[in-house]
Amino acid sequence: MNICMITWEYPPRIVGGIARHCSGLAGALAKLGHSVHIVTLDFPGAPSYEEIEGVRIYRTPIELGHPNFIVWTLIFNHFIEKRVAMLSRDVKFDILHAHDWLVAPASIASKHYLRLPLVSTIHSTEVGRSHGLHNPDSYLIDGVEWWLTYESKRIIVTSNAMKREVEDHFHLPSEKIDIIPNAIDASKYNIPVDRGNVKRRFGIDPSERIVLFVGRLVPQKGVEYLIMAAPKIVERHPEARIVIVGDGWSKDYLLSLAASTGCQHKITFLGFISDQDLIEIMLSSDVLVVPSIYEPFGIVALEGMAAGIPIVASNTGGLAEIIEHDRTGFLAYKENPDSIAWGVNRILSDPGYASWLVQNAKRKIREVYSWDAVARRTIETYERALRE
Amino acid sequence: MSNKTPIPDEIYLLCILHNVGATSPERALTFEEILRWTAMEPPKAEQNLNKLVESRYVEVKEVLGARKYFITVDGIRKVLSMYS
Repeated sequence: MNICMITWEYPPRIVGGIARHCSGLAGALAKLGHSVHIVTLDFPGAPSYEEIEGVRIYRTPIELGHPNFIVWTLIFNHFIEKRVAMLSRDVKFDILHAHDWLVAPASIASKHYLRLPLVSTIHSTEVGRSHGLHNPDSYLIDGVEWWLTYESKRIIVTSNAMKREVEDHFHLPSEKIDIIPNAIDASKYNIPVDRGNVKRRFGIDPSERIVLFVGRLVPQKGVEYLIMAAPKIVERHPEARIVIVGDGWSKDYLLSLAASTGCQHKITFLGFISDQDLIEIMLSSDVLVVPSIYEPFGIVALEGMAAGIPIVASNTGGLAEIIEHDRTGFLAYKENPDSIAWGVNRILSDPGYASWLVQNAKRKIREVYSWDAVARRTIETYERALRE
Repeated sequence: MSNKTPIPDEIYLLCILHNVGATSPERALTFEEILRWTAMEPPKAEQNLNKLVESRYVEVKEVLGARKYFITVDGIRKVLSMYS
């Protein structure tokens, strides 16, 4: 099958989970013998075309700019649409696959121009990310999301929670939506690391135990609740260090919040780090906290499970489906620092409990969240879209 | 977006630099060009630009005696974090 996948994020342009999702899925589809073409945006230092493990990646420069973000997205969609049209002269695509609203205009136009079925993965919704629609931009994005679901032959979501959200909010027929979870390449985490050296490299004392957060520093990720939990964690476990990996527009607020906790010296912000460093810091950590207040899936939880770190996650959205409380992780109450601290302290205090969670989580990763399984299910969705 | 933590001014400025395409040294903008795009008061724009340069989200290069600004890879990621 000739697949044209359209996404605004693809490595090394990594913002959230979409880039990792697209590269994992594309690689697995190529391994199954399909021809996968990724049309995405350019990024400093990345080539405009390359082929990685059978996946052909076309990075499209944006030749115009505009200060308004929405207008900017319309402009880059125009350039992506042109790139798809040019490519279609040489490649007879069978299906188009769009990822999120940001590429909706190009994907929908290409669908009509090429007369091909369009499948869309909705990774999250504006109404969910923003806790409602509070400004004109949000209304516009929400409308574009609805438009994409309307124009798509089939919709893919990554969790039951997301299916309910998309079905209810956009009034979609249930049978149009397929749930296909995210996945992870667990083999990346099977490497030896010297935890002491890794900690020293990031300015952390080797005797300290890392309580890790990984993600964008935006309100929906709930980092503030982990920071508010820090005093209760450090009081019980003075050897603990909260390490925050990632960047985002609310970083300054989080820095000032950390300063107000009285244990700022125990909280380290590492900013954005490379994929290799991320794997090494995960393998050197003692607990991974995923304190999201909105999380359609939560791929970082899978990364933690594959790396063998016990997880404390909010009991919300996709996280509540990935994590079985007291079996593959600890589910904390959402927006509740006390509950997060309780979970972290229990894991740090009880190595037997931590080990039990890790063993069960690793088993679940092997059985459920492999890219091969996800690619096969995605092909079924493509075939259904082609038949209908 | 959370109502508790409004988006800081310098992040808005960073977004505008990103959206108008000042994402590489070849497409860097002068201070005057930035003022035209943003309609910010010069002292406020300068203060925000300095903060972005300090945070390494923006870099400065000298071209024929003029300072030009463009956003870095980390700056691009910072902007994109708002919408992903």
